[in-house]
Amino acid sequence: MDFYLGLIQIIGVHTLLGLSAYCVLLTGQVSLAQAGFFAIGAYLAGMLTVLAQWPLIPALALAGVVSAAVACAIGFPALRVKGLMLVVATVAFGEAVRLFFFNFTYQIQAGALHLGPHGAEGFRQIRYFPENGWSTLDVVLFIWVVVALVMAGLWWLDRSRVGAVLRAVGEDELAAQSVGINITAVKVSAMTVGGFIAGIGGGIFAHYTTHIEHAQFGVVLATFAIAYPILGGLSNVFGTLLAVIFIQGFLIEGLRFMGDWRNLLFGGLIVLAMNVRPRGLLDAGTTRALKRLFSPGREQSGA
Amino acid sequence: MRRLHSALAVLLAGSMLSLPGSLAAQERTVKITGFGAKSGVVRVFGINSEAAMKAAAEEINKKGGVTLGDNTKAKLVVEFLDDRCNAEEGISVVRRIASTDAFVAVGPTCSNVAESLFGILQKKVGDASDSGLQFPIFADVAAKGGLAKISEWAFRNVPSEFEMYKSLIAWVRKEHPGLKTMYGGVEKDFAHSNATYGVMKGQAEGAGLQVLGTAEWLLNDTSFSTQVRDMKRANADIVAISAHPFTTCGVLKEMARQGVKPKLLIGLTSSSSIETLQGCARQAEGIIIPTSFAPVTPEAKAAADQVAKFGGSADLHSAAAYEIMFILKDVIESQKIMAKPDTVQADREKMRKGLAALTETKGLLGKVGRTADREAIKPYLYVHAKDGSWQVLHRPAL
Repeated sequence: MDFYLGLIQIIGVHTLLGLSAYCVLLTGQVSLAQAGFFAIGAYLAGMLTVLAQWPLIPALALAGVVSAAVACAIGFPALRVKGLMLVVATVAFGEAVRLFFFNFTYQIQAGALHLGPHGAEGFRQIRYFPENGWSTLDVVLFIWVVVALVMAGLWWLDRSRVGAVLRAVGEDELAAQSVGINITAVKVSAMTVGGFIAGIGGGIFAHYTTHIEHAQFGVVLATFAIAYPILGGLSNVFGTLLAVIFIQGFLIEGLRFMGDWRNLLFGGLIVLAMNVRPRGLLDAGTTRALKRLFSPGREQSGA
Repeated sequence: MRRLHSALAVLLAGSMLSLPGSLAAQERTVKITGFGAKSGVVRVFGINSEAAMKAAAEEINKKGGVTLGDNTKAKLVVEFLDDRCNAEEGISVVRRIASTDAFVAVGPTCSNVAESLFGILQKKVGDASDSGLQFPIFADVAAKGGLAKISEWAFRNVPSEFEMYKSLIAWVRKEHPGLKTMYGGVEKDFAHSNATYGVMKGQAEGAGLQVLGTAEWLLNDTSFSTQVRDMKRANADIVAISAHPFTTCGVLKEMARQGVKPKLLIGLTSSSSIETLQGCARQAEGIIIPTSFAPVTPEAKAAADQVAKFGGSADLHSAAAYEIMFILKDVIESQKIMAKPDTVQADREKMRKGLAALTETKGLLGKVGRTADREAIKPYLYVHAKDGSWQVLHRPAL
């Protein structure tokens, strides 16, 4: 049971990472900076609970706010470029953050122990959950309350005028600009919201892995971050969740019994999934079909 | 006739009923699960550990297996899971193992994974306020210093690199008094290499060597020309490389290309393996490495042959996995572990208690001491690469 609960924790945190990229992708931008925001959230939340002895929730909130502020600051220069140039710019940012933590040391003495980030050797003993008696189930519930709140927020946003504006920018920037939408403000806002979600996700990640180091926040994590919403589809937030379950639950954990073959299948199955479902696992057509299936009356009246 | 039929039927039914029980008694097995990197740059360590565990299990099984707490005999079966040297996957793998009847796990390969894993374990035994996992883990490879301190459920059978390099540097100073300067090279993003370089540098400075500089590179780097150019400029007497076989070979090849020929080469413990010789035997010629394994005793030679039969190579890491299997056998027997589904938590506690109580174990090179903080004090020797093989250079008196 503990194993499945642990897996649900991983899926929850990766869903937050994927949703942070989902926000930016809605505006048509491909950002590989999410791993950087995730790293900032992880280190900051870890330092607040371990070094400053803050409770978890305020630590996560501050980690989210700081990551959002960095995302906002990065958004202005980075989003002046588009397409591949933006990919390069955001990769560069992500690597800059990773290398910052690679060289960042701030430790305090606590008895016989030195606590805090220690450059390339990482940051150990982020043990808020076990030290405060949280069971694996408690951690799962906490993570999924956060995930549910974020998903609900983005669901609501998606159905509001703001969501329409985000999608309008993503569909056709020129057309959106011609109707008076401030493109820069929209893109930077999306980046900021994405940074906030990634910061919270990173903060939780640091606490359930208990040890973090720069290498965890590299390009591979950034690639996973954008792979989730792209593979899942951008029609709604559940696509990202579905993709995380597919990758973390099925490809990584479900196929572990296959040993060396797992890694070969991993890439192959993602390529296959993207070929079979080019608009995502949960595209607009599937969403409509599911709506018809679960509430046929509402669909008819809507029609 | 009818009576005979009835008697036969009763006999048959009786034998049918007793058959599964007797078969089960004959075929009772205890699964020991290992885990580590079987993918990526360091996959060879996982492959070697798995082979060593299987080789040791076969040796134990040949001699009748292990005696459980209810005096039944059981054969050891080894399963090995890949964590890809990834902390998140390592946690998931351990949770998976802990959700079975397993009472111990052997691994991991990477120190960064061990950091996270030991962090999720209960820190102090019996601390009701700590909800960490209560499951013993016995590390064979993860070599970064002091990791077992993280949790009382964490144990290691890895050598103390601090002691090994302290001794090696002192020996170098004594045997080669003319060597005054050292230049370092470190695989900066790998926890083990980075931590061990700190030890090498500290010991060198402490022993009066002048450290002229340090070249840094990353585990996945393939180009080392800039770092070696700096090394060449420094022209130090000794070059000490704290890196795993893959980048060690890259650097050694670049050193050969640029004509860098220090008077003495020192390497990282993990590079005293067959991979270094397969990758760059010619360039590695003469490199000195302290190690806790070499096939220099009859037991070590036999173990190396056994591990090779399972497709692995015996080195200081996999030899530790081999030794761990025999340690586990002894603890299972001394603690009377039952290995039954209804005794899982009690068995885990017995295993932890048994491992913590050990003050000495049998190793392939001789006796291995155990410290109060659950680390090993292993015998070691210095090997050097000579004519394409590792040969013993010096065996310090311990």
